[in-house]
Amino acid sequence: MSGVWWWVKSRALFALMVLLLVPSVTAAGLTVDDLVQHMDSLWRGKTSKAVMSMQVKTERYERTMSMASWSLGQDYSLVVIREPIKDKGIATLKVEQNIWNYLPKINRVTKVPASMMSGSWMGSHFTNDDLVKESSYAEDYESAISFTGLRDGTDVYEVTSVPRPDSAVVWGKIVMILRQQDLLPVEVRYFDEQEILVRTLTFADEKQLDGRLVPMRMTLQPVDKSDESTTILYEDIEFNVPIAPSFFSLQNLKRMR
Amino acid sequence: MSAVFARLNMLMFIAWRNVWRNPIRSVLTVSALAGGVIMLILYYSLMAGISQQMIRFATEISTGRIQIQRQAFIQDQDLYATIPWQYLTQLEQQNPSLQFAPRLYAAALASHQESSTGVQIMAVDSQRERPVTKLLTHVRQGQMNLEQGIEQDGMTYAPVVLGYQLARNMGVTLGDELVLVSQAADGSIGNDLFRVAGILKPINPTFDRMGVLMSIESYKALMYLETGIHEIIVNFEIEPLQTSNSEDWLSTIQQQLMTQITAQEQAQPLDKLGGKVQVRNWREVSPSLSQMLALSHSMMLMTGVVVMSLASLGMLNTMLMAVHERRQEFAILRAIGMKRRWLLLMVSLESLFLALISAVMGSLLGTWMSLRFEHQGIDFSASMPDGYDWAGMVFEPVMHGLLLPEHIYQSCLMMLVISMLASLFPAWLSTRHRPAESMR
Repeated sequence: MSGVWWWVKSRALFALMVLLLVPSVTAAGLTVDDLVQHMDSLWRGKTSKAVMSMQVKTERYERTMSMASWSLGQDYSLVVIREPIKDKGIATLKVEQNIWNYLPKINRVTKVPASMMSGSWMGSHFTNDDLVKESSYAEDYESAISFTGLRDGTDVYEVTSVPRPDSAVVWGKIVMILRQQDLLPVEVRYFDEQEILVRTLTFADEKQLDGRLVPMRMTLQPVDKSDESTTILYEDIEFNVPIAPSFFSLQNLKRMR
Repeated sequence: MSAVFARLNMLMFIAWRNVWRNPIRSVLTVSALAGGVIMLILYYSLMAGISQQMIRFATEISTGRIQIQRQAFIQDQDLYATIPWQYLTQLEQQNPSLQFAPRLYAAALASHQESSTGVQIMAVDSQRERPVTKLLTHVRQGQMNLEQGIEQDGMTYAPVVLGYQLARNMGVTLGDELVLVSQAADGSIGNDLFRVAGILKPINPTFDRMGVLMSIESYKALMYLETGIHEIIVNFEIEPLQTSNSEDWLSTIQQQLMTQITAQEQAQPLDKLGGKVQVRNWREVSPSLSQMLALSHSMMLMTGVVVMSLASLGMLNTMLMAVHERRQEFAILRAIGMKRRWLLLMVSLESLFLALISAVMGSLLGTWMSLRFEHQGIDFSASMPDGYDWAGMVFEPVMHGLLLPEHIYQSCLMMLVISMLASLFPAWLSTRHRPAESMR
């Protein structure tokens, strides 16, 4: 009996010491930067090519789109709508902090101005700003591991990010939760400046791809409208396909339809 | 009784004679007071002219006398808070004497070459809009035929008309291409090419900076919104007889429309999200305007008091002099048995005559001048061709007065009251001298 007790106590003590002494490094030796980096490149790799569907549900309408996307690093991405037919060929190009939309109906490329950044992207609950801000996440936010341990029956890491003093961002706080055993993201919570929860992004349907576990489904849910959501379902992702930066050009934007 | 009248007659006679004992002094006093009255009449008619122009601009050009909208549209311009088209046709059938104009709105992104900016689309039905507001004749450049497409390079483009400041900021002129992109009602990206057919005159600062006008057909093609309309503008002729109680008239019609709509809401229930249908008059639609009108009313009163108090100082001075000069006379009158109150009355009557002469002169001259002012107006168009905007309201560059009968009698009444108050002191002073000392 006493042997077991000693074992339990020593483990608890060890865990406590780990928490007290090295709070920013997890038991597995991961720093917070590793975790942020992991989240960032999970769906992207160095380059990526994906087919996905987006289902938007609002109190007024429901629609599903099928899209193809390409990305290179954090700064380049291109998304083209395949279906429905009415919207086929509508494309979004992101290069660093800029977004252009191509509209095949009128055969015009329009740049999204700063004033429209908070506007909805393709009628979903994602905003243009969400696309732009993912490239500067590490510069805009100061992250720290705020919790390590058991939550809802799973060992998780909780990473809390707050904006750096001079960064121009929308959120007041972002909390990410990852599963410890395989670093699978579980949930991201977005808070406003008053630290009130505004929306949550949840992940599901993980799949082993290229040696990592990637959730194939993500659902964005605004808190104030509980019956609304946007779900992105990856049907196929390929990592590290050869794509040159010149692929992400305004000319190509028009050609993609 | 007759004795009192006889005495009053005598006092009036003496007072009238006294007025003309020093004609120059009296004329100067009269001109000061009459000048005050003229100033006031002109000022009042100017203010009334401005108010009338504000109300006219607000009601005739864009907002109409009564607006009908859904609650959620009033609160946050909810795209889906529409009123079904049947409501409009029903209202038109029920109220043949009123005119109704449907409107649709949307926020969009407009681009032309390199420049792009957020705009507010307003879609109107030309045929119904024309009898209701002057919006479609308020064009500065180009034409207002929203229903007729523009042929160019073998394509037909739907026309749009822009607010003048928007056109200037975007560097757009007539015939230029304009791309409009918006989130359509079905969640897709609404997008279309348009040609600029016209540029509006100033309406209000927001519309001038952001407004894009198009036909309802073009709007539907862009926004995929088929459920109804956002706004119904109601206007009606006010007959000359009803001008004085036009406010009662307005609320009667407002009530009547509300009753009809409530009945329709029961017959054809609307979705919960858009809220109830609201019927509001222009005062409720633009509370700042009606507050400003109320403010200008009390400002007019204060200005009147100040102007008249200054003019009445002349009266005070004149009467003090007159009383001082005639100390001996008053002493004799007192000595032969005239009562103090009769003396007081006599001096007051003298002031009253002065004031009445001023009132007649002032209102005649003031009326003549403000009628000219009403007719010709003051033209600022050389320095401000677009007019000017103040407190969110756009004014025409030509300022016109509006003379109402109450301006004349209000000014005269104010002058009479204040100048009579001012003359009380000299009159009282005249009774305070001791006859024995004054006669010495």
